[in-house]
Amino acid sequence: MLRFLGIRLARALLTMVLVVTFAFVVLRLSGDPALLIMSADAPPEAVAAFRESWGLNDPIWQQYLRYFAAIFRGDLGQSMRDGRPAIELVAERVPATLALTIPALLIKIGLGVPAGVYAALHRNSFADRAVMLLAVAGFTVPSFVLGLVLVLVFAVTLGWLPSGGQESWRHAVLPVITLGIGGAAVLARFTRSAMLEVLGQPYMRTALAKGVPWHVAVRRHALPNAAIPTVTIIGFMVGSLLAGAVVVESVFSWPGVGRLLVVAVANRDLAVVQCILLLVAATMVTANLVVDLLYGALDPRLRAAPRGATA
Amino acid sequence: MILSRRPLLLGAAAAAALPRFAIGQSDQRPSINIAVQKISNSNTLEVLREQSNVGERIFFSSLWEGLIGRDWLNEMKTVPGLATEWRRISDSVVELTLRENVRFHNGDVMTAEDVAFSFGRERMFGETLPTAQGRTISIRGDAIPSPAQRELPAEVTGVARRAWPALERVEVVDARTVRFHNATPDVTLEGRLSRFGSEIISRRAYQEAKGWFDWARKPVLTGPYKVVEFRPDHSLTLAAHDEYWGGRPPLRQIRFLEIPEVSARINALRTGEVQFACDIPPDQIGGIERDRAYEVQGGTILNHRISVMDKNNPALRDARVRRALTHAIDRKAIVDSLWGGRTVVPRGLQFEYYGDMYVSDWEAPKYDPALARNLLREAGYKGEAIPYRLLNNYYINQTPTSQVLVEMWRAVGLNVQIDMKENWSQILDRNGSRGVYDWSASAPFNDPVSCNVNQWGPNGQPQQVGIWTNEESNRLSVLLETSTDRAERKRAFRRMLEICEREDPAYTVLHQNATFTAKRKDIKWRAAPAFAMDFRQGNWG
Repeated sequence: MLRFLGIRLARALLTMVLVVTFAFVVLRLSGDPALLIMSADAPPEAVAAFRESWGLNDPIWQQYLRYFAAIFRGDLGQSMRDGRPAIELVAERVPATLALTIPALLIKIGLGVPAGVYAALHRNSFADRAVMLLAVAGFTVPSFVLGLVLVLVFAVTLGWLPSGGQESWRHAVLPVITLGIGGAAVLARFTRSAMLEVLGQPYMRTALAKGVPWHVAVRRHALPNAAIPTVTIIGFMVGSLLAGAVVVESVFSWPGVGRLLVVAVANRDLAVVQCILLLVAATMVTANLVVDLLYGALDPRLRAAPRGATA
Repeated sequence: MILSRRPLLLGAAAAAALPRFAIGQSDQRPSINIAVQKISNSNTLEVLREQSNVGERIFFSSLWEGLIGRDWLNEMKTVPGLATEWRRISDSVVELTLRENVRFHNGDVMTAEDVAFSFGRERMFGETLPTAQGRTISIRGDAIPSPAQRELPAEVTGVARRAWPALERVEVVDARTVRFHNATPDVTLEGRLSRFGSEIISRRAYQEAKGWFDWARKPVLTGPYKVVEFRPDHSLTLAAHDEYWGGRPPLRQIRFLEIPEVSARINALRTGEVQFACDIPPDQIGGIERDRAYEVQGGTILNHRISVMDKNNPALRDARVRRALTHAIDRKAIVDSLWGGRTVVPRGLQFEYYGDMYVSDWEAPKYDPALARNLLREAGYKGEAIPYRLLNNYYINQTPTSQVLVEMWRAVGLNVQIDMKENWSQILDRNGSRGVYDWSASAPFNDPVSCNVNQWGPNGQPQQVGIWTNEESNRLSVLLETSTDRAERKRAFRRMLEICEREDPAYTVLHQNATFTAKRKDIKWRAAPAFAMDFRQGNWG
């Protein structure tokens, strides 16, 4: 188990280093932060002074070494736009994003999994087709279109909810629904496929032949086995809790991490982008790690598998 | 008492029709919300850092005020601001009399010391020294206070020196009189005093702020509204400054909300969450005004859209090819089709508010495809590709305009190819082939020095990044900056236009820029010909 954990942790660290290195290089090669933050009309003297004061004239490898040395001191850099530590800026936005993504995740799981199971158990029925039709519509409609349609109906026409902003819980309703519907649709489709596969397995036939009631066979044998691919998808969703609402935050003017990322990338606010990517990578690899551990809990075969044979 | 249903229903309907502004119990003045695309690019509220159009909107005339102001609603004329009068002492010295009883947002009375501090090293210039014609000018150091132990962002001093390249010092003559001493003769000193970046701050508040960024997020000024809360990328809340020298502000609170999407801004207006929606593209105006409850105000602003040509591109080295580019453009067609006729084609890169310096008989290059074809033939142009580095709608209608331009150029035989870029750094990158790109030009004050010399002179960005230069034009730039002979200056400006727009084209003007604001029709408020929004007494209700 320790070896398993050690390998996973090493991979996680390597992933984070690669992500941050990639972002570091691409951001510096694709735009001069001085020109972007100061605007194109800024006097050349001001642009030069900005570049000098932020060390942007140094060779990129020197900047890279300086950046990594700072990370090991716990310093994730300072925002060029705000003059404040990048981690402070990002930390300010995390609660706003989680206020959308956590309820949205609950909706995804609460709607998507039961809908997928129900559709699988009633395969080819009217309910199955209706659920799948909605699921296809749910994940093919882009979130910005869905968001605008919801605003048009519930804010502009009916006047029930605000169209954007972050003043109260009412402002969160439409963005949460927008985020939730797309994810629920994805989960419904995956769960249905997984369930159908499991329901066709010989052990299900054996269980039924032994006289196990249908609902017991489904609960004891089908659901745990179908959970593995579903848990993988949910793992991805948990991993994207921090940066999974970029578009929706923009449509609903919600000041979360996603909006901060968009603005920081556009302005090449290097420290802020790198800080967000580091956190997103950390969340994603942590979620994957937890999913790996859950595999073992869900499937005894994986626990008993010889070393190196696990997924 | 018997109540019939009809009066009740009528009453309810009337209540619903009332403006949905928040009205405080003790203060009956309305509060308003304004949806904007962006509040501040730099995440600060300091005029020496946020030198942008969006900055102009939140700064003027609500927060920042200078000694000489602008009448935003009356052709941007210069008017007394925090100074009531001014006079020339010499070609390089202006004396101003300060307005009495001007109070800052912290309650302090503005003094001559505040004015001198606002233009001092500690707040504006840091360690930089005044320059003129490329030479550093020695000054009497003892006349200038030394900077405090606080870090002034380097770009602030760059912006300050661009606005005031040769300002030597501000002398406090007495409690109500100050003198601005320039190191060289300068006829534009009064213009510079009215420009974006020459506003007055509270010395005490600046020095008491923990750091520069703390100051820059909550500056203490003299405007009719004061900063209550600034949440970068989200909102800016201003409250009435009831001790304002120009009278009690008509609004209790103004809240700017950052809503990046156009449709979301329009929706917020329709739901009543905001009373104003800014940055409305021309193609949305008809849709908004179809509902009679709303109207769209605004129009041309002091900013021209131009196309810049890289003289060093092999295909553009011959001035005749660049001239062909200018004559192939049907500017009126662009204005009529993409702007619905809501803007105009200016008379070259100049503004009517230049006053005496405005060259009224100048014209933008004539649309003449035959002339363009002849010029290309004479230049021996063989269809070499000319790259057009383009940003995706950084300016309103930028992308559709570029597509129209490429087709107009193709019609006369020019092979211009769009090359999409992500940011300004990529547009100006010296690596690879540069050909044509989009830009805009503003005039921060009413003289060609503020725009033409600033942008196309030897220190302008195109010359700094090696896109264009012209020796004669550079000499004229220096003359415009330092000569006090107005007739000579006007001749120099005309000649500069001839060079930059016809003989050795550096750019070509496309159209004047415009900005549009949607609002409820029942709100009595008038938009200025600028990004600035005036919410002072006299422009509300």
